[in-house]
Parts: sequence; structure tokens; C-alpha cells
Amino acid sequence: MEEETEEELRTRTEKKVKKAAQLLFFRRHRVPGVKGWELKKALGDNYMEVIGVLNAALDKFGMEVKRISEEGEEKGESGEKTERDRFMIVLKNHLIEKASGARIDDVAMLSATLAYIISKQGKAPRKAVEDFLSAKFPKHRVFFALDRYIKQGYLGEDDKVLHIGWRTRAEVDRKTLLDLILAA
Amino acid sequence: MKSEELFQLINFCKTIQKEGTDPFDLNVKRYLETLKEYLKKWKSFDDLLIDAEAISELAKIIELQGKWIRDRSASFYIDPVLMELKLKMLEPAQLANAFFESWHPIISMDRITSKRLKEGLDYWNALLPFSERKEEFPPPSTLETAFDIEDLIDLNILSRTEFEDAIKEVSKELEERGRIEYHAFIYEDEFEDSVKKAYLTSYLVSEGKAQLDVNPLEEEVFISPSNANEEANTGDVKSIPISLSYEDWMRWKRKQKKN
Repeated sequence: MEEETEEELRTRTEKKVKKAAQLLFFRRHRVPGVKGWELKKALGDNYMEVIGVLNAALDKFGMEVKRISEEGEEKGESGEKTERDRFMIVLKNHLIEKASGARIDDVAMLSATLAYIISKQGKAPRKAVEDFLSAKFPKHRVFFALDRYIKQGYLGEDDKVLHIGWRTRAEVDRKTLLDLILAA
Repeated sequence: MKSEELFQLINFCKTIQKEGTDPFDLNVKRYLETLKEYLKKWKSFDDLLIDAEAISELAKIIELQGKWIRDRSASFYIDPVLMELKLKMLEPAQLANAFFESWHPIISMDRITSKRLKEGLDYWNALLPFSERKEEFPPPSTLETAFDIEDLIDLNILSRTEFEDAIKEVSKELEERGRIEYHAFIYEDEFEDSVKKAYLTSYLVSEGKAQLDVNPLEEEVFISPSNANEEANTGDVKSIPISLSYEDWMRWKRKQKKN
């Protein structure tokens, strides 16, 4: 078997990186991102190396590939059960001033809800969150807002108990959020 | 330890897991020692099953205790009371800014590809006309009317006693206040309570215990308790729609504050 030249290897890697970028940038499911097994199927066994190369390229644009476990924990590039983890591209730095069309009070409610739930060890009865938010916003808006955050993945709900959703784990630097709130 | 106590222990464990209260509220060591002590006394298979479930629930509590310690020692552990106080003090804009500065949004785009368009077209071509697929879309089981009180009672959303007490309370209030502008009567401090009162009031009117007096020119509606001597129902029944909007309620509330 002929040995692959350096040029051929580079071309093959570039192709894989492009494919990985397309898989990660364009939405294929209701939830953004792709599972490890999908990347493995499309890119081969060494898909984590391809992700590493893509990450280096994305870094120039202030983006990175983030890996979230099924349980919602954030992980680096190594670790077990990679195939079940979800990979997605996120903005590395908060450089842009506005990246959302959401109303300021909706963002404020989300911010307060997340900080409240994080401070309660990651979950709190929905009623307690509703009562807390109702001190500043009308109840009917609070109900709709909480339902919307659940739908968007920022929150999860089990048996009338709210918890941090997959999207918060992927998108929000929880420590920074709490630090900023306490310092404000 | 009786089996009822075991059930209590299991329920306590489940409550801690569900509500996220402090898992150290439960003295695991003491319960494990008690379970060990009583293990020989269990006779029936069911007793042993409950015992096994209790052990399983205690194991989950131990797991939670581990997580609790990890969370507390994590760098982002904050006293919830302090956080709640801080959140109450901040303006919405400050909260929103904190969120934006800690937010790393997912970058994801939706784009239709020519391959997907082709699949869509193939699907369309293979699809039978709607007239031939009507059985796939059975007409919804429509309700002739909205939920009435009997439906709510059947669904255990409301109890009859609770409803009757609420009706009595509204009726008594109307009698005390006499003839009054409708909205002035139904508006409460909370919008939710105003809607509830409007619903209960409509029931009073339907039952003939209150009457509405509509002045279409002035766009005013007055409500008054029905005179017991009057004929309750003349047979001339009609519906009177009265709007109840959040904005109007807010205007009323602002006006109340000024007064």
C-alpha cells in the first residue's frame, strides 16, 4: 500500500475540518449541535483530533467547540463517553454588544431566574421562582416567560421543580453571572 | 421500626430528592443502623422489598450529600439568601447586562439545502390529495361550550364547596356595596383575582342573583344585587360580553394609587 504524502494528508484533514464545521454550524436537529457518534460516523475514529484542528481555526474568530455531557456537564476535549456527548459551537468571548432580539426585561427575568436557581444548588420549586419574579413583574408575564425559557432549553422542569437546562450549561458562564450580579 | 415507618423514611428521601432540600436533614447513619437492627425481624417478602427500597433511597441521599458538598465547595457557591437579596435590589437592566456578559451563545444556523428541497418535492409528489387522506385528520373533539363549573369539579380542579363559598362571598360583597359600576366591583389588587371575580360574578348574573344595567351610550355597565321580590327570570335571556383586559386593569390600578 502506497504511503500517503504530506500533501494528501493535509487535503484529507482540511476536508474533514470543513465537514466538521458544516455539521456543527448548521442545525440538523431541534436542539443545536451534534452528538459524538454522529461526528465519529462522519469524520472517522479520530474525530476528536479533527475537532481540535477546527477549534484552533475557530479561535481566530472568537469561537470554540463546546462539549456537553448528557447530564449537562461541560467537558474538555478528552474524557470518556465522548460519543454520547453533544458538541456545539459557541461564542468564546462576549465581544458583540447585542446577539439577541429578546426584550431587556425578558433577559432580566432569565438572568434573575438562573442566578436564583444556581444559588439553590441547581433546582427550585416553580412556585418559589414565580413568587420571586412576581415581586418585579406581573404574574402572567412571569408564567409565559418561564414556559418560554423551558422551551428554549435554558430551564428544565420536572414535577413542578425547575432546574438548569442544557442550554444554560452550554451558553452561560455561571460563575461569571453570579460574580457580576454580586458585584453590581 | 414498623413498615409504616419505612414508608415514611422512603417518602422523606423522595421529598429531599424532589425539592432539593438539604440532604443532611436526614441522619443516614442512624437509619442504616436501625435498618440493620430490624432486618432479622422482617418476615414477609413485601417487608424485605420495602427494606430494599429504603436502602436504595438512602443510597440516593448519600449521593446527593456528596453532590451537596461538591457544590458548596465549588467556586460558585453563594449563600441563596444573599443572592435573593441582591437580585431584589438590582434593576432589570443590570440583571440583563450581567447575563449578556456571561453569555456565550450557541452559533447555529438553519439553511435549506437543494438535497432537502428535493426530498420535500418528492414528499409532495408522493402525498395523496387531502380528500383521500381525511381519516388521517379526524375532526377535533370540539367542546360545544367552554368548560363549565361541573367540568372543573369533575376534573378535580375545583371542589363544589370551594366554589359555592366563593359565590356566597361575592354575593355578600355585592349586597353590601349595592349598585356599582361593574369594573369597580370586579377589580382586585391582582389581575388574576379580578379575572376570578369576573367569572364568579358572571355566575351570579346567570343565576339571577345579580343584574346588569348596560348604558350603551356612556359605555357603562352597572351591577346590582337582584331584588328578591322581583321576578328572577322573565324568560328573556341574553348574553352581555364585557371586556376585561390587563391594560384596563393597570389603568384602574394606577388611578387607585393616585387617589
